[in-house]
Order: sequence, then C-alpha cells, then structure tokens
Amino acid sequence: MDIKVLGTGCANCKATIALIDQIAKAKGVAVTLEKVEELRDIMGYGVMSTPGVVIDGKVVHAGGVPSRDKIEQWLTA
Amino acid sequence: MNARVDLPQAREVCPTTTRRLIGEGALLVDVRERAEVAQVAFDVPDLVVMPLSEFEQRFAELPRDRELVMVCQVGARSLKATYFLMYQGYTRVANMEGGINKWASKGFPIKGARAGASTPAAVSGCCGTAAPASAAATSCCEPAPGANTASGACCSPAAAGSGSCC
Repeated sequence: MDIKVLGTGCANCKATIALIDQIAKAKGVAVTLEKVEELRDIMGYGVMSTPGVVIDGKVVHAGGVPSRDKIEQWLTA
Repeated sequence: MNARVDLPQAREVCPTTTRRLIGEGALLVDVRERAEVAQVAFDVPDLVVMPLSEFEQRFAELPRDRELVMVCQVGARSLKATYFLMYQGYTRVANMEGGINKWASKGFPIKGARAGASTPAAVSGCCGTAAPASAAATSCCEPAPGANTASGACCSPAAAGSGSCC
C-alpha cells in the first residue's frame, strides 16, 4: 500500500505521518509512507487543506489530522 | 477523488509587473480574509476579494479568458491559490510575489484603515516585519524545505481565518 502524506512540514502533517506509521505497524500492514512537501507537488493533487493523504494514487483525506478510526479503515482495505 | 496533475512551476510576477498587467486588463484576486482586507487593501480599479477559506467553493467565478494575478499578505497563500487554479485548468494566472507587503513598500496604491501609515510595518500583518528582502522564506509558517518560491504556507484555508499571514 503506497501512502503519501501531503503537507509542508507543520505539526499536523508530522502527527499524521506518525499516526499512520504507528497504526500500520500495530496492524502489521506493509506500507510505503512518503512525505510530499513541495507546494507544487501537493497542489498537483488539488488539495487546498493539508495534511492530505493519498493512498495508491487516490486522495482519501484533506484537512486536519485524520482520526484513528479513519486510518484503521484505510489499512483494513 | 482528485486525479494527480504534474503542474509546471507557477508564474510569479513582481508588484511592478503586476501594475503593468493591471493596465493591460488583468484582474487582481485578493485571497486574504475579509478582516485583513478591511484593514488595508490594494487600491486598484479591478479587484476581486475571494478569501482562501472560500476559494474551493467559489473559484469558478473567476474568468478563464482573462489574465489573473493572485495576491495576499506576503505571497504565500496566493501561491497556493495560483497552483489550485492551474490544477483546475486555468492557464492565464500568476502569483504576485511579496504580497501587499511588497506592494506597499514600493509606495504602490493601498487604501483602508491602516493605509495612512506609509511604512511597510503598517501592512506587515502578523509577522510584524518589513517587506522581505528576498523571495524566500517570507511566510510566518515553517518554510517548505527546498522551496524556491515564496511558499511554505502550512495552514489550511480555515486556519487563515484567524488573521494569520500564512
């Protein structure tokens, strides 16, 4: 599962990455987790509110840190 | 949801070029929140105020067949709006670097409650500093690593409503 977290490095973006990493490890799901920090690359997904989360090329979340429940749902796919 | 588009580097223009473009018919789009605009605004004939917090809902009001110059406090939020329009297929759009801070520091026309003071500090917003000397690291947010434009806005459009210069 390829996961990209879009954001220019603010606290919410870091929290999102940490949370996804933590839950993926807890569930034993193999993910490649990547930060997309350049504004031009972030906007390439049309995401105005960061953090954004892209899973296998699809934007699944934009704005604020996603909830634990939401992340678990993504990783249960 | 959103398909990925490989966007080219956004066009950036200085305040002087912006004035020329306005003279040639360009539309200035100010993406600051209304409270900020009430304090100090660009004094130009053709201006649209479209706060970043409303941008995603309202951007379609902007013409595609006219030159658009996006502006804000320091050029960070307007750069985000510029890229968003490019993502939506707009081709005639550019970001004005330095924002109203740089515009005012050049003595270009402004109006509003804080327009009386002529120093850059009067229009510097939350950062409280004079207009930046360089195009880099002009945002009060953490700067984006490797950014070569006046970017680094990490705040969501909603957060911008608090009056920050992000």
